[in-house]
This record gives sequence, structure tokens and C-alpha cells, in this order.
Amino acid sequence: MTTTISREQWGSRFGYLMAVVGAMVGAGNIWRMPYVTGENGGGAFLIAYFLLLYLIAVPGLMGETSLGRYTRQGLIGTFRKVYGDNRLVGLGLVILIFNIVLMSYYSSIVGWSIYYAFHAVLGTFTQTGFDTAALWRNFSGNTALNVGMHTVAMLMVTGILLFGIKGGIERLAKWMMPILTIALIAIAIRGVTLPGAMAGLEFAFSPNWEYLARGETWLAALGQALFSTGLGWGIALTYGSYLGRNDDIPLGGGIFTAIGNTSFGLLAIFAVFPIVFAFGISPSSGAELAFVALANAFGSMAGGYFWALLFFMGFFFANLTTAIAITEVGVTTYREERNTSRTKSVLTICGVIWLLGIPSAMNANILGYLDFVVGNWGLPLATFIVMIAIGWKFDAHRLRVVSLNRGADLYVPRVWELVIRYQIPAIMLGIMAYFLYSNLGQTPWKTISGLVILTLMIPLCMWIMSRRHDTPYVAKPKGGQSS
Amino acid sequence: MSMSAIIVMIASIIALWGVASYALIVSIRHEEHKLALIRSQGDFEPYSPRAFRDLERWLTQHPESEHAPEIREWQQSQRQSMKRNPQRFYDWSHADDIREAP
Repeated sequence: MTTTISREQWGSRFGYLMAVVGAMVGAGNIWRMPYVTGENGGGAFLIAYFLLLYLIAVPGLMGETSLGRYTRQGLIGTFRKVYGDNRLVGLGLVILIFNIVLMSYYSSIVGWSIYYAFHAVLGTFTQTGFDTAALWRNFSGNTALNVGMHTVAMLMVTGILLFGIKGGIERLAKWMMPILTIALIAIAIRGVTLPGAMAGLEFAFSPNWEYLARGETWLAALGQALFSTGLGWGIALTYGSYLGRNDDIPLGGGIFTAIGNTSFGLLAIFAVFPIVFAFGISPSSGAELAFVALANAFGSMAGGYFWALLFFMGFFFANLTTAIAITEVGVTTYREERNTSRTKSVLTICGVIWLLGIPSAMNANILGYLDFVVGNWGLPLATFIVMIAIGWKFDAHRLRVVSLNRGADLYVPRVWELVIRYQIPAIMLGIMAYFLYSNLGQTPWKTISGLVILTLMIPLCMWIMSRRHDTPYVAKPKGGQSS
Repeated sequence: MSMSAIIVMIASIIALWGVASYALIVSIRHEEHKLALIRSQGDFEPYSPRAFRDLERWLTQHPESEHAPEIREWQQSQRQSMKRNPQRFYDWSHADDIREAP
């Protein structure tokens, strides 16, 4: 049923690495990582985080990228190659739906960052007596403006994706990621030279060793390591499917992606906390930190226009490269499944995401609910499904032998197979069970409704794919065939 | 800042930016080496000595598997590449020479 359409490939190693790290570096690295680190024992949290990164995220990303490179297909095509043409291909559709839902509300966050980058260009934050809290309140309460920014965000994503993997995603990432790095380094240097800034670094890095014995520290580190690297969402798989047969995966797709992504989190600690402490702002995370506290601090700094511009442009770049990656998962899959042109696929997927994203743009509670369901269960479930497909159905041993170690800059030993087969799936089940246990008492309606939706989605997707399997389908080859 | 915070900060910079920068540089250098080999001799051996031993071991353990033909194809492709090309991508100085293997 699947036709392997002649595929584009990444134009350069640097381009692929920037694109994949850009996919993983998003809002969470900048507005969540500093706060989570400081709140969970500083240095103790970082030690737990490094351990989990190497034990879970690095091997997991190697497996996901390697499977994509082997099948040279998007999500559903990969599941078809792994499971055969049967209803279990529906598991790929489940992950695809998670991606589309995730992007439907992430687009609003991209819209917020565009709005603030625009205000940074205008110099709004440096106006005398400007109230950043009022700006955020007015913006949050303006439904039309939020829908408008969501629309602008999706138009940008559409425009970039229309240029393809090499001409769109890669070209953009090759510029945006170095600019983001320079912007964060510049802000960090300015931040640490402010009076009182050292207290911020002390808060973030001072190790409280007793935190290492707390389960909450390890759970926070696990959550950050998994959600920040986007393991198992189909992004690494999709980007890996555009790699050449002899391209390296373990060093670039595994270690560089996971560690590079976290390096941006570290840079955010240097960029955010010295400023927060120097201006006596209470450390926090999320939209409040970026759009109210930091915007206010930039307004009070000497050269504030420049620093605000650097920060909000960098924040926008981080969000945009992630949004592009999440959307590309759907575009690649749709193009292969419908055997259609890239233009049509981009317009269709972006159109669907734009429509689905309107409720989240209009109502922050809907955005919060979707984030709650997708973040707590959808994404861990997606990771679980992908790791089971790699470890058990495809066979982790075979994947390591035929694909992962092919063209590799780093030899991956057999212990990797145990991580993929047992460790990551067990941890995913544990996370889902913990989230269920911890949320059921506090938010029973949200928890139960979310679980019902997810539980119904799996058989529904399997039914859809089994119907598609039963329907005669003649693939029209497009372009040259390649295996 | 306390000494322990300074130590953790420096260790974090080395463990993250140090490792990421090293991985980026090594990865790009290896890619340049691969491209140079492709330009000069057309291709290069895709598997390292250890990875190729894994491939052969897999075939020994699963000779009748439905996936064996595909893996035999990779094995042959590696052998042909090593026979055909004078220059290697991987270091074979400590590996058994497989060029003459059947």
C-alpha cells in the first residue's frame, strides 16, 4: 500500500543537526528549565537530569532516528513496515493525532512569542512607566488578537514548510539556531554582570544533596528529560527518514540532539536567573516569567531595547523551529499516505491545525486542558508505543545491527537493546500511572475525561486503519522510486 | 557564590556545552571525511569492524530468518566496498582482514 516517494535529503550535516536540535529546543527550555532546576535542588537536580538524559533520552532518540532512517517513511508508513498492513498501523495514526493536537495549541504559544517579538521591535518595553502585566492581561483577554496571532504563526509555519526539508526547514535552522545561541550568550553575559546577579546562579546551581533522595526531584528531572527532547513523538523518526543510508546517528541524532537541547536549557539558566534575581523578581516559570517579569526587567535595564529584542527574537526562533518540526511529522505522513504533492500536504495539514487551534487561541482553559491530556498521557503513551515497536516488533537487536551502527561515528553496544526493550517502556508506564494517581484526586473530571478520550482513540484509529487496509488502493508513483 | 555552586556550574558547562560542541565538531569532521572518500573513490565501507562482526554474528544466529537476505545484502555490499576501495573510513588496523572472506 505504501509507495516510497523519492525523498529529499538533508543538504548538510550541520543543517540536519541544527534542524533536529531546533526541533527539540522550545519554550520549555527557556521558561521552564531554569525554574525547575532552582526549585528541585539546583545542582542535585542537574545530576539527576544528566543521568536520566544519558540513560533514557540519548538511547531513545538513537532508536527513533534509526528506525526512521531505516524505513525512510513517515509515522504511518513506518508502522506499516514494522507491523505489516494491518490494524496495528493505527498506532501510528494515534501518535500522528497527538502531534496535530499538540501543534494546535503550541501554535498559540508561537503566536504569543511573535506578538512579544513585535513589541520588542517597537521598543514597547522600554517606554517610561510601561506596565508589562497590563500588556499581558490585555493580550490574554483579547480573543481576536490571539486568534490573529495563531493565524500568523500558522502562516509562517506553512510558508517555511512549503520550501521543503532542505530549502525550508534546514535553511531556517542553519540561521536561527546560531542566532539563538549568540542571543542567549549575550543576554547571559549581560545578566551575570548585573549587581546581585550571583544570587540567581547560586539559586540555580547550589546543590542541595538531600533533594537527590526525593522522588519528586527524579520525577521532575525525568519529565524535563523526556518532554524537552521530544522522545517518541515522531519528530526524530520523521527527521531521521530524510537522512542518507550512511549518515551517522548515534553521535548526531542521539548524543548531540539530547545534550545540545539541554545545553540551551543551561544557557537559559544563565540568561534568565541572574536578571530575575538582580531585579528582585520572584523566580517563576511559564508565560508569567517571560512575558511579565523578564519584559519588565528588560525595560529597566540600560540598553533594554537591545536585550529585549535579543531575548524575544530568540524565544520566537526557539518556538518556531519546534512548531515546524511538529507540523512536519503530519506533512510527511500525509504526503506519503495520500501520495500527493508536498504543497498540497503542507496546505492540508497546516489548514487542519489552524482550524483545530482556534478554540485554544480563543480560550486559555482549552489550551490548558489539551496540554494536560497530551502532556500527562498522550506523549508518554506515544513514547511507549514507539519504543515497543522498535524494541519488540521490529527487534532492537536487528535495528542496532542493520541501521543504528551503519555509518556510525560511535559504536553502540548491546546494552542499548535492553534500554529500548525494558527500561524506557517501563518508565513510561510508571509516569502515566503516577500522573493518573497524582491528578485523580485533584482534577478528577479532567483526568477521567482525558483518559476516556485516549482509551477510545486507540481502537478507533486501529479501526480506521483496518478499513483503509480493506479498501482497494492503487498508489500513483510520484517521481523516482527509491528504497 | 559558594564553592559547591561554582563546581556544579563549571561541571554543567563541561558536561553539556563541552560534550555538545565536541559531538558537533566530530560529527561534521567525520562527514567531511565521508564526502572526501565518496569524491575520491565513489563510496566507503558503511560498517566499522565491530558493527560488521555484529552483522556476521546475526547471520550466523539467524540464517533462515525472513530478514537474512537483506542482511546478507548489506554484508556483501560491505565486502565489495572493502575489496574495491583502497581507503577506509573506519580504523581496520586492529581488525581481522575480511577482504578475502568468501
